[in-house]
Amino acid sequence: MLKRKYLIPLLTSLFAVILVLSACSGQSNQDSKQSEETTDAKDQPIAEKDGNSITIAVSSNLVSMDPHDTNDTLSGAVQSTMLEGLFGFDKDMNMIPVLAESYEASEDAKEFIFKLREGIKFHDGTPFNAEAVKVNIDRVSNPENRLKRYSMFENVETTEVVDEYTVKVTLKEPFGAMLNNFAHPAARMVSPKAIEEYGKDIAMHPVGTGAFKFVEWEHSDHLIVEKNTDYWQEGLPKVDRITIKPVPENGSRIAMLQTGEADFIYPVPTDQAELINGKDGIVVENRPSIVARYITMNTTKKPFDDVKVRQAINYAINNEAFLKVVYSGYGSDLDSIIPEGLQFYSKQTPYSYDPEKAKQLLAEAGYENGFETTIWGANNSDAIKAMEFIQQQLSLVGIKVNVVPMESGTLSDRIWSVQTAEDADVELYFGGWSSSTGDADWGIRPLLAGDSIPPKSYNVAYYQNEAADELIYAALQTADPEKRADAYAEVQKIIWEDAPWVFLGVEDTMAGMKNYLKGVYLLPDGAMNATQAEIVQ
Amino acid sequence: MENGTVITQSDELIQSKPEKVKTPLSEFWRKFKKQKMAMVAATFVLLLIIVALIGPFIAPYSATEPDYDNILSPPSLEHLAGTDAFGRDIFSRIIEGTSISLYVGLTSVFIGAVIGTVLGLLSGYYGGRLDSIIMRICDVLFAFPGILLAIGIIAILGPGLENVIIAVAVFGIPTFARIVRSSTLSIKESVYVESAISIGAPARRIIWKHIFPGTLSSIIVYFTMRIGTSILTAASLSFLGLGAQPPSPEWGAMLSSGRDFLNSAPHVTFFPGLAIFLTVLAFNLLGDGLRDALDPKMKD
Amino acid sequence: MFRFIVKRLFGIIPTLLIVSILVFLFVHMIPGDPARLVAGPDASYEDVELVRQDLGLDKPLVTQYFTYMSGLFQGDLGTSMKTKRPVFDEIADRFMPTFWLTIWSMVWAIIFGLLIGVISATKRNKWQDYTGMFTAVSGISLPSFWLGLMLIQLFSVQLGWFPTGGNDSWTSYILPSITLGAGVAAVIARFTRSSLMDILREDYIRTGRAKGLKENIVVWKHALKNAMIPVVTMTGLQFGFLLGGSIVVETVFSWPGLGRLLIDSVSYRDYPVIQAELLLFAFEFILINLIVDVLYGIMNPQIRY
Repeated sequence: MLKRKYLIPLLTSLFAVILVLSACSGQSNQDSKQSEETTDAKDQPIAEKDGNSITIAVSSNLVSMDPHDTNDTLSGAVQSTMLEGLFGFDKDMNMIPVLAESYEASEDAKEFIFKLREGIKFHDGTPFNAEAVKVNIDRVSNPENRLKRYSMFENVETTEVVDEYTVKVTLKEPFGAMLNNFAHPAARMVSPKAIEEYGKDIAMHPVGTGAFKFVEWEHSDHLIVEKNTDYWQEGLPKVDRITIKPVPENGSRIAMLQTGEADFIYPVPTDQAELINGKDGIVVENRPSIVARYITMNTTKKPFDDVKVRQAINYAINNEAFLKVVYSGYGSDLDSIIPEGLQFYSKQTPYSYDPEKAKQLLAEAGYENGFETTIWGANNSDAIKAMEFIQQQLSLVGIKVNVVPMESGTLSDRIWSVQTAEDADVELYFGGWSSSTGDADWGIRPLLAGDSIPPKSYNVAYYQNEAADELIYAALQTADPEKRADAYAEVQKIIWEDAPWVFLGVEDTMAGMKNYLKGVYLLPDGAMNATQAEIVQ
Repeated sequence: MENGTVITQSDELIQSKPEKVKTPLSEFWRKFKKQKMAMVAATFVLLLIIVALIGPFIAPYSATEPDYDNILSPPSLEHLAGTDAFGRDIFSRIIEGTSISLYVGLTSVFIGAVIGTVLGLLSGYYGGRLDSIIMRICDVLFAFPGILLAIGIIAILGPGLENVIIAVAVFGIPTFARIVRSSTLSIKESVYVESAISIGAPARRIIWKHIFPGTLSSIIVYFTMRIGTSILTAASLSFLGLGAQPPSPEWGAMLSSGRDFLNSAPHVTFFPGLAIFLTVLAFNLLGDGLRDALDPKMKD
Repeated sequence: MFRFIVKRLFGIIPTLLIVSILVFLFVHMIPGDPARLVAGPDASYEDVELVRQDLGLDKPLVTQYFTYMSGLFQGDLGTSMKTKRPVFDEIADRFMPTFWLTIWSMVWAIIFGLLIGVISATKRNKWQDYTGMFTAVSGISLPSFWLGLMLIQLFSVQLGWFPTGGNDSWTSYILPSITLGAGVAAVIARFTRSSLMDILREDYIRTGRAKGLKENIVVWKHALKNAMIPVVTMTGLQFGFLLGGSIVVETVFSWPGLGRLLIDSVSYRDYPVIQAELLLFAFEFILINLIVDVLYGIMNPQIRY
């Protein structure tokens, strides 16, 4: 009696558990079988695809389609299907001319003359010419318009139309990295007629010269673009439609790729990359990014005011293990203060993993018994993992670290909104930076120049070094690449030895796609390019 | 003390029975031990408490020490529940996490239940303006989503485990208040309460002796269900940087951290999930047993 | 009863007024600077200050409050700081998906919750009871992200029956509504069971049985109605919670609803959107609780307020 009473619920529940677990175990059975058949993702048969339209699943919501008022990489990436600038970046973040044919820069980096490509029309039929460029640059460089990318162009004094296809831009101050600003997504060109027609609403009705035309944007859900049949580049575009869909959950994004609901997804979480690569016609593509990962040390506070302590911490952390634990090995060394993918990068001698040397340096600095400190960072799982790793590594040399992950708004308030260096509570901060212009200047100046301390900019290490500052600004006084390269080489050397940061690594960009899809790729700054998308069966 | 009052209320019934004279406690025990499932659950809860107390001494491995050669290894004889993304033994982490998860789960629900019950009793019994005010306050509390409330509370009180408990307790208050109020409203109209009012019994006595016991069954049901929710809520708070800080082995936080490995390493979520499930199940069964044992109308 | 409803409906306005003040203060009190968050992670100081002026955040708090309130009185909820779209549009876009998902989930939850609850109560301490109990406890202790991702793996990836997310057709409602409804069903089942068990012990039910009424009629017609008060209370509250949009389920199923809007606007400290959402939630709860209170009166005519 009693036995039967328990038997049935037990069986029922067992059945339920098996049913639910079958979802994951079924998956892994299938996995192991397939991975025996194909070890290389390239060998697997091409997946099937109906139609000539593709869907791209991304991780967060789109914010704006106004290039001059956009500061998130994702919105910028989506804009790139519709809008183009005078310059752009290729797959490896090299600057390439797009709507401009050529340029001339004056020796003092104050005057830039652009020769434009002829015969191009915006999607609404407006011709692309010098006047259109002037309207765009005037718009973004006017503080009255309160556009988020104003500061990239506030240095512009005048923009003049020389002739139909020649524009001359004059700066207030010399700025050697200006060309990179013109290659930045913020300098993409929008139809002057559309700007007049829509005013501020241009953010919802982008009209450019790009390979695809805007169709619709359901703000809560997706954005659709369609083929621009009059595109100026021969043979492009090759697909009819692209749907961009925000899918915030990692697991769901992967599931969409597995079922074929999406043809391209990014980012792919590093810990799942290996699991999905080479199955269901999926290829995971990882490439070095320009996202540097580091810990800032507040150099105005004890014990981090001592360079020996800062170097000791660099020696105490095993960077290889860091990449393995936090990014499943998808990353590379950060062997300068900027990643290898940036212009003017110069390699430094790495701080090798050497806990003994770390202990010795700590002892020399008077901390033979270690000390206690606190690390702040974001509350996403990668950041927490990274901070826990740092905690463990530093405990081995006697430093006790308290890990405090914070919600983004709170974190930004406590780090960036601090008014003076004395008020700063931050000790260690786990952060990252991607120089969206591809230039060394934007990778160094906002983070390490003496006058960049919060709230003005992002120097949370509160690092001050006059020699470095002089070089940083000298490099901006010229547009001559050689002179700039020399200055930046010296800056990198000085700061590397001063070690205001713990240099951890450079993440990879992680994209997942079906193997019939070609021509869609991620740039090192994490933006996506889908202009050349093509389905190959 | 709650038990005591309920039993007093049922004194007449018990004493009218031609059995040996019993104290309320032994009567409660007699009824309680008859319920097999509740006894199993009580044993399990007792076990949990013991584990919570001696956890660190019996865990086979350190709960916080990573082992980078053993990342995400599946369950084996060596690691009964496998290891997590840091190579830490999940079984040991669950054992060491028992105290913190039980502490957060139980205290926060208890605080929420006490405050909510008092508000609900007052609101339901007195009605009128007091009722309107309390219920509108609850409506306002309902409207604040948990995450926002948590950020706010932490902003005022600062981070720390105790403040997390307060935050989680605050989420629970309005629900308890409305449940208790609804029972109070219907019990208030029952014959025995009306007669007590008519003979002029003081309100405090009526609420405490006649109404409160009647609401207990709903309270217990919600209380026991809420424990699991609280453990999970506390975990989501620790992800906001508010709760127990990493690498503390809190069950909810362990569960959430396995979210990214759901396909590749299901054991990372499965075992903490199982721990929460069994705990909630045990408390639910225990709650049912308690309720029946406390219920005077329950036939033997 | 009619007077009661009218009185309560008029009471909504002052309540919402108080809510709006509280919400405004609370939202501005939590740490986080919208200008900086909206300006983006690598914005320069000038950009942040421009954004601050643009959003009107450079003005004193009192001025901001009056701007907000005067807008509110004219039915203007303001403009989203993040997207620069009218807040009304942002919320309107997402309300219906959340609303319909809520309805679907509640339909599942009520059907299964009541069924499990009644069976458990009538088959007390039998295997049906234990199975029901087990299911109910699973429903609340399974985290919804786990359940959701498992359902996606099983029904979308392995079997290919339903889409993984979005709300493009009726099939996309099934998995999210099951995920969302599981917890609610569990709560309803537990409350139905306990409340019904209380009632089944009451004298008049015993009398009914003694008079030879069929057990089904006793349970479904007489007992259940009287057992419903706590169940209705809880169901109402759950309905209110779901209408606020579930952050987790909407994230897992890429659902374009209010929960995702909330988490987005909180992370950007998009004050106008947060304020409008909270006002909406307060309004929903007031309305739902009013309906619940009216239902009390219908179920038990003796209840007066």
